[in-house]
Amino acid sequence: MKKKVLATLLATAMTVGCLTGCGGGAAEAPAAEAPAAEAPAAEEPAADAPAAEEAPAVEAPAAAAEGTDPIANLIAATTGTVTLKVWASEEDQDLTTKLLDEFKAAYPDVTFDITLGAESESTAKDTVLTDVEAAADVYAFADDQINELVKAGALQEVVANYTFDVVNENVTGAVEAAAVDGKVYAYPMTADNGYFMFYDSSVFSESDVQSLEKMVEVAGAAGKKIAMDISNGWYIYAFFQGAGLELTLNDDGLTNTCAWNSPGGTDVAQAILDLTASNVLVDMNDEDMAVQIAEGNVAACVNGTWRAETAAEAWGENYAATKLPTFNAGGKDYQMSSYSGYKMIGVNPHSANVGWAMLLAEFLTNEAAQTARFEARGLGPANLAAASSDAVQANPAISALAAQAAYATPQRVGGNFWSPAETLGQILASGNPDGTDLQELLDTTVEGITAPVE
Amino acid sequence: MKKTIHSILRHAVLLLLAVVWLIPILWLFVTSFSGYKGINTSHFFPETWTLDNYAQLFLRSDSIVQYNKWFLNTLVIAIFTCVISTILVLMVSYTMSKLRFPGRKTLMSFSIILNMFPGVLSMIAIYFILKTFNLTNSHIGMIIVYSAGAGLGFLICKGFMDTISVSLSEAARLEGASEAKIFWKIIIPLSKPIIVYTVISSFLIPWGDFVFAKLMLNSGIATDWTVAIGLFNMLGKSMIAKYFSVFCAGGVVISVPISILFLIMQKFYVEGITGGSVKG
Amino acid sequence: MFTRPLFEGRWFVFRRDLFAENDFGMEVHMKKALNAIGDYFKNFGIAFVKGDVWVKLTAVVMGAGYFGRKQVVNGLIMLLVEALFAVLCVGFAAPNLAKFGTLGTVQFEQVFDPLTMTSTVNDYDNSFLILLNSIIALFIIFVFVLFWIANMKAVYRLQIQKENGEHINTFKEDVQALFNEKFHITLLTLPAIGIVIMNILPILVLVAVAFTNYDQQHMPPSALFTWVGWSNFKSLFTDSVTVTFGYSFKKVLTWTLEWAVLATFTTYIGGILLAKFINNKKTKLPKMWRTLFIIAIAVPQFVTLLLVRNFFADSGIVNTFCANIGLTDFLKNVGLVSANLSYIPFLTNPGWAKVMIVIINIWVGIPYQMLIATGVLMNIPEDQIESARIDGANPLQIFVKITMPYMLFITGPSLITDFVKNINNFNVIYLLTQDVYVTSDQLLANSNAKEIDLLVTWLFRLTNEYYNYKMASVIGIVVFIICAAFTLITFTRTIKGDKEEEYQ
Repeated sequence: MKKKVLATLLATAMTVGCLTGCGGGAAEAPAAEAPAAEAPAAEEPAADAPAAEEAPAVEAPAAAAEGTDPIANLIAATTGTVTLKVWASEEDQDLTTKLLDEFKAAYPDVTFDITLGAESESTAKDTVLTDVEAAADVYAFADDQINELVKAGALQEVVANYTFDVVNENVTGAVEAAAVDGKVYAYPMTADNGYFMFYDSSVFSESDVQSLEKMVEVAGAAGKKIAMDISNGWYIYAFFQGAGLELTLNDDGLTNTCAWNSPGGTDVAQAILDLTASNVLVDMNDEDMAVQIAEGNVAACVNGTWRAETAAEAWGENYAATKLPTFNAGGKDYQMSSYSGYKMIGVNPHSANVGWAMLLAEFLTNEAAQTARFEARGLGPANLAAASSDAVQANPAISALAAQAAYATPQRVGGNFWSPAETLGQILASGNPDGTDLQELLDTTVEGITAPVE
Repeated sequence: MKKTIHSILRHAVLLLLAVVWLIPILWLFVTSFSGYKGINTSHFFPETWTLDNYAQLFLRSDSIVQYNKWFLNTLVIAIFTCVISTILVLMVSYTMSKLRFPGRKTLMSFSIILNMFPGVLSMIAIYFILKTFNLTNSHIGMIIVYSAGAGLGFLICKGFMDTISVSLSEAARLEGASEAKIFWKIIIPLSKPIIVYTVISSFLIPWGDFVFAKLMLNSGIATDWTVAIGLFNMLGKSMIAKYFSVFCAGGVVISVPISILFLIMQKFYVEGITGGSVKG
Repeated sequence: MFTRPLFEGRWFVFRRDLFAENDFGMEVHMKKALNAIGDYFKNFGIAFVKGDVWVKLTAVVMGAGYFGRKQVVNGLIMLLVEALFAVLCVGFAAPNLAKFGTLGTVQFEQVFDPLTMTSTVNDYDNSFLILLNSIIALFIIFVFVLFWIANMKAVYRLQIQKENGEHINTFKEDVQALFNEKFHITLLTLPAIGIVIMNILPILVLVAVAFTNYDQQHMPPSALFTWVGWSNFKSLFTDSVTVTFGYSFKKVLTWTLEWAVLATFTTYIGGILLAKFINNKKTKLPKMWRTLFIIAIAVPQFVTLLLVRNFFADSGIVNTFCANIGLTDFLKNVGLVSANLSYIPFLTNPGWAKVMIVIINIWVGIPYQMLIATGVLMNIPEDQIESARIDGANPLQIFVKITMPYMLFITGPSLITDFVKNINNFNVIYLLTQDVYVTSDQLLANSNAKEIDLLVTWLFRLTNEYYNYKMASVIGIVVFIICAAFTLITFTRTIKGDKEEEYQ
């Protein structure tokens, strides 16, 4: 299934590449050089048509065969100021400001008026969907929102690449996550939005962290806690998916199919009950986790790269990270699964300058930008070249993510998943206080998850 | 002797209550001086003291913290809001209190019922109405949002005006003064307490509202925001660990002028609200 | 108005006498209203039938009647109004109302040309804008019709005046009238426009939305939505496993009412007691004490509530403190805290959260009530209390027999409005529990509700996070009906007589 999607993707990308005649050529030329190629065309403004045809002939012979270069066309067709609104997360403001300046410098003949706003990737959807027309032209978001954004017509399909090959230069998982129904809708920006296990290596040995039961035992002996946000659909998924109980999005893109209540489901639920009963594995939300790690109460946690800084600070040289451990359900060990997560940049189809918005989105996600983002903030690149650098490879959090990648799946769920799953986690983590029959519990959860969208 | 014990006991209880009421406020205050940016969960008082949070608010504006700008935005919005709302409220309350015309009571009942509709729900419709006039993401739009419907909040003010003796306006009317003149020259000067109350309470609205402001000012650009959105934003998931004590500093800063206004208003508040009823 | 209750619900304090004259005697009221409407049309009919040629012409050319009586400026203004209306009809009302039946048929389509890097968008329909504009258009038409009728009557009045040889106002005199006998029109116009924009139009739009399928699957501009009749109301009262709106509605409504009663009475009684305590002659420095309590509410509510939420967080400072003094373990032993928790779930367990919310609301609300109570208590007729004391009544008896009835008499209406404001108390619930509270009731979860949700917070979440505008509108209408009915019933029952004129 996944391969099929990928094949379609590649085919699309290749067709697009041929069509534009630019994909291949530009992909080899680093982004910084691209403007040089365009400069001659821009010097002779829209006055005469041949200018647009001559310019690419010099630098990109491939394009000459098609008779035109889209970027040159765009520059030639641009009169007046190009107004763009960009949203990046609060933490990404400094870097994005820098990149925006570089972008402006790359097209010296065009006057830009680019404003940068702060909108967290995790909540971009909420703001965008309230009023798509008022949303930014280019915005960052987490890949779990892509379905709803595409459904709401808030993402411009990436039908062509201009400065680099988005599909082939990013890791496959990221490209898959950027696609809906085989069409790419966004530009992967980071590949680090999934979760894995952080731990304090002075408490756990490398063999301890292979099994959750063992970890609970060790942490219990050391008087420390292991934190995981169990009352959260995103994390509790790790147990059920790990045990092979699938949760998939239906073809309508809105409703879910969920097998959590099929045979074996109660074993998983029982396992979670048993694990949390010890009060060593505790249900804790993200903010509390940050506090508790810093306070020294939590010695291991299931979380993502955004907590790396806190953990590294608190544990010093004992800071370590690895893939998620196994857990035992019904007498059998299962490797915990996880959601892989990516951050994307999308273009708003309601933008008045879709062309420029797409160029900017490419610019904000190219190899140079992803490398810069890693260097500035430690975010794992989705770009293959950037991800293969030594510095990235040496980062514990990112290599833990890479190790977990084999067990991770992209996040494809309909909106009805979250509340019921969250509640299931809450009930299990609090020890099933009403003593509801586990099968019944799971049945109700699944009914909620698979409910038709109201 | 027994009296002294009673008195001590009485004041001890009061002191205890006051402490309960003030502990969170004290926490806000001391945390605003904390050297640790996140939430300190093990100590009430910060371990390191610093003025850095205030410096960050006022001196180091970045794309997240634009406190000076927020303060100015909110101040401008608040000033216009209170002027417009007060005028509207006075117009309606005077009409309902002193003028007699057909349909007056029906209008009053109607407006009371209208006020019951949950405002949270009309938000989205108001947003699109203002968007039609290109007033979203603008401070003019915010002023309209906060003040346009103010006329509905006329009841307190009307109640006060009811207590102003009708003989004064009768006398003026006999001397040939127009209704407009009576409004300006007689009723307005006598309504000072309730005007002060209306002015201050409408002045305070923009400082406290974040739901509407967040919907309307959705450009994501921090310089457009009001204090409330800016502070609310600091407690977002990804921000709280780095901005909690800055949030506290921001909270302290807006509380100072608001507390002063509030203390001034307190007198008029009680007077305005109870002034008429006690005479009855 | 919306922002006020959000800002601080308690700022509306109604006094008994305010309502005394509102005279909610429903039957009388309805009869009067019906009669008025009857007269309205009767007068119009008379005007039309008995009017001369100028009056009849006015039905078509609105200025005619004035030109006929040499009121040129008035006539021009009317013509202008009519022309403006005609332009609005053709340019705005007609195109929107034409699509009102279907709410649009042309889906959004956008084509991007990779070669020129430009996109073209078709001329699509936006259902929401069609709905909004149609309602605005209908409203304008409605107002215009009223205006037209009023104009006919005015013109007929002019005819009568002329026939009787009475003085006909010049334009200047008409303007002067607006500052005299018609001063109420001058004063009410501007506030009314504001209220129409901010209250009436949004309400009409949302009532309409309740009859459409406007939700996440049908969100403009990319998708269209259309009319679905009463089906949303049906799902609110349906109990099935997949559609749990009925179940959630009952639960949320119950808690909303419980909350409103608790929140109103705790703060009311607490406020009076505190005020009495502080105002007692034996208390030294009453002003200082009062100020101390007021400081707590002078900090904006959203700041204090967000702060308190972190104060009582699962790993917050109060929990650290409770764990240190052994309170957490004690509560565990008593069974108030589940054994597998290492903290007190102040805001995360349904029972605890409900209690905490009420307590925090007391914390927020008592200083306000104390302020009001102080004002009222200061004016309690001393002689009554004195004579009771002479009769040998103890302080408690005095409080129950004299103080409380007096307080209730003065602040009764404020209690009722407080109750309504608490039904819609968005701030306290939202700021204390958003992002913190996770429901453990699966049926509630299936319709995105939580145990601690009030109807307003539930509908806020439905719109803000799930874009379920149709259900939110239905819930909004129900809340509205509950509040309106409650107010009407209580006011009719508790308040009789018309006292307004007594002061005048």
